[in-house]
Amino acid sequence: MFSKILIANRGEIALRIIRACKELQIKTVAVYSGADADSLHVQFADEAVCIGPPDLSASYLNISRIISAAEITNADAIHPGYGLLAENSHFAEVCEACQFQFIGPSPENIRLMGDKAAARKLAMEAGVPVVEGSFWVVSAEEEALEMASQIGYPLMIKATAGGGGRGMRIVYSPDDFIQSFVTAGSEAEAAFGNPGLYLERYIKNPRHVEFQILADKSGNLVHLGERDCSIQRRHQKLIEEAPSPALKQRLRERMGRAAMTVAKAGNYTNVGTVEFLLDEKGNFSFLEMNTRIQVEHPVTEMVTGIDLVKEQIRLAAGEPLRFKQEDIELKGHSIECRVNAEDPERFIPCPGKISRFLPPGGPGVRVDTHCYAGYSISPYYDSLIAKVIVHGVDRQEAIARARRAMEEFVIEGIKTTIPFHQRVFMSPDFVKGRVNTGFLERLNANPASKARN
Amino acid sequence: MAKQAPRISRVSEIKEILKLLEGTDIEEIELEKGDLRIRIKKRGPAPAWFHQSPPPLISPASEEKPFTPLLTRPEKDLGPTGNLMTITSPMVGTFYRAPLPGAEPFVREGDIVDKGKVVCIIEAMKLMNEIESEVSGRIDSILVENVQPVEYGQPLFLIEPI
Repeated sequence: MFSKILIANRGEIALRIIRACKELQIKTVAVYSGADADSLHVQFADEAVCIGPPDLSASYLNISRIISAAEITNADAIHPGYGLLAENSHFAEVCEACQFQFIGPSPENIRLMGDKAAARKLAMEAGVPVVEGSFWVVSAEEEALEMASQIGYPLMIKATAGGGGRGMRIVYSPDDFIQSFVTAGSEAEAAFGNPGLYLERYIKNPRHVEFQILADKSGNLVHLGERDCSIQRRHQKLIEEAPSPALKQRLRERMGRAAMTVAKAGNYTNVGTVEFLLDEKGNFSFLEMNTRIQVEHPVTEMVTGIDLVKEQIRLAAGEPLRFKQEDIELKGHSIECRVNAEDPERFIPCPGKISRFLPPGGPGVRVDTHCYAGYSISPYYDSLIAKVIVHGVDRQEAIARARRAMEEFVIEGIKTTIPFHQRVFMSPDFVKGRVNTGFLERLNANPASKARN
Repeated sequence: MAKQAPRISRVSEIKEILKLLEGTDIEEIELEKGDLRIRIKKRGPAPAWFHQSPPPLISPASEEKPFTPLLTRPEKDLGPTGNLMTITSPMVGTFYRAPLPGAEPFVREGDIVDKGKVVCIIEAMKLMNEIESEVSGRIDSILVENVQPVEYGQPLFLIEPI
């Protein structure tokens, strides 16, 4: 087991990782930029190293500075968290070359699943249903146009190096195709350094259902059930729940098996998440695989009782998987709200200083946050303030707790999306479980759902 | 957990080249071998260190420009400092006072230095980075010890500009 882990991240996930390390009696090193000197993860870690000015490329995305920090503190391993360098296969390779265990999947896993078109091909060849479309990157416009007419409109143009909702365009008619294709390519190049594009049929308002995978280095895998992440705005998740209200046990077993098939086909190790789109008829198709611990991992922890970050660390240390599939049981229901420093109606980021901070509590309420009264949300990084995760014996109780938690949570000094969450939990569609990726649009179209403030 | 020797073999290649140069009167040399490109410049009696093009494992996009130490007004806890400026570390690494173990330090307290004078080395990821003074002045104090780990922004020297 490791003696010391350096956390190559910030904010709430850095704190989350430090907590897991403390429970495993592993020493921790925090790295931070000049803008994060007052951050909680810096206070909680055993050691902290300032690695640069606020700018991401000079600090949290700067591989040599992070590796230098690991060297001068004699860390054994580096945990990348989520976002930032977590899915950067080059970073994973540098860690290995410099004798630091990267806590996550292998560089090959990251590379393969990070190429979205290649991951689709892998899934298809493994016999898993995939969204109709191209299985390789298309570069020639004429070839793309031909393929598009075979797939049918509307369709999606997606960046192969993208993912998580970035680098995507919907095309409704053949007349718009070439134009969209060309600009999507330049956007992809600018955003991801890779102009490669692939095509997919557009599925309107599906459910987004993802399966949590754990795998050891000997090829043993389990899935920990699903999360329904259909409530999104511009492909950014806002509310997640486990289990999905759309899945009965048989469908769960089929999708779980499909998720493990994809992971096994890729010789996957450590934690990962296989994403599917689910239509109203119960047909599912593979979308992509994420090779990191995810923001919404707590809802899975609440229903399975398994600490995913501790398992990640154990698996990275070479320990065998401690569970068989039959050991995994989903109990009760969990919902997570991402509370962001944003205008609750227009979702525009509103950084600033928090003057008052009273998180909710009581039974079944967990708050993962790095914020406190007096803390300033800086404009340099993301706008996540806190994740409020509730758990109840069933979905009804989870919703009641979510409502209570959003009423109790007091944050003053900045705008937050708490009012948005309050609206969602009062919405009849949400209560009935009628949720898909078109939910937010419908919610906004309904004036009767404005929160009582 | 004991660490094995690093697999970066370029360091030993470069050491070989340095050894070869030592006996000669070559002042400056630039070598290219595959994806490795280095330039070595001898400076005075002290053997020269070098800036190596980063090995391909390290993304060139994330390598910043030549290291400019940060000059700031000293913080309050350094005590009354008058018009002294602080030279702070531009990177994370290990501070070395001298070019080699046992050699004369680059500067001592009281030394007058010209702008551009190398005042120390900070080693990061097996690369030795020369840190130059941004101003001409008198070295008032040296705030860190030899072989001490330093972080970004850490104060290294107090210098009285002249």
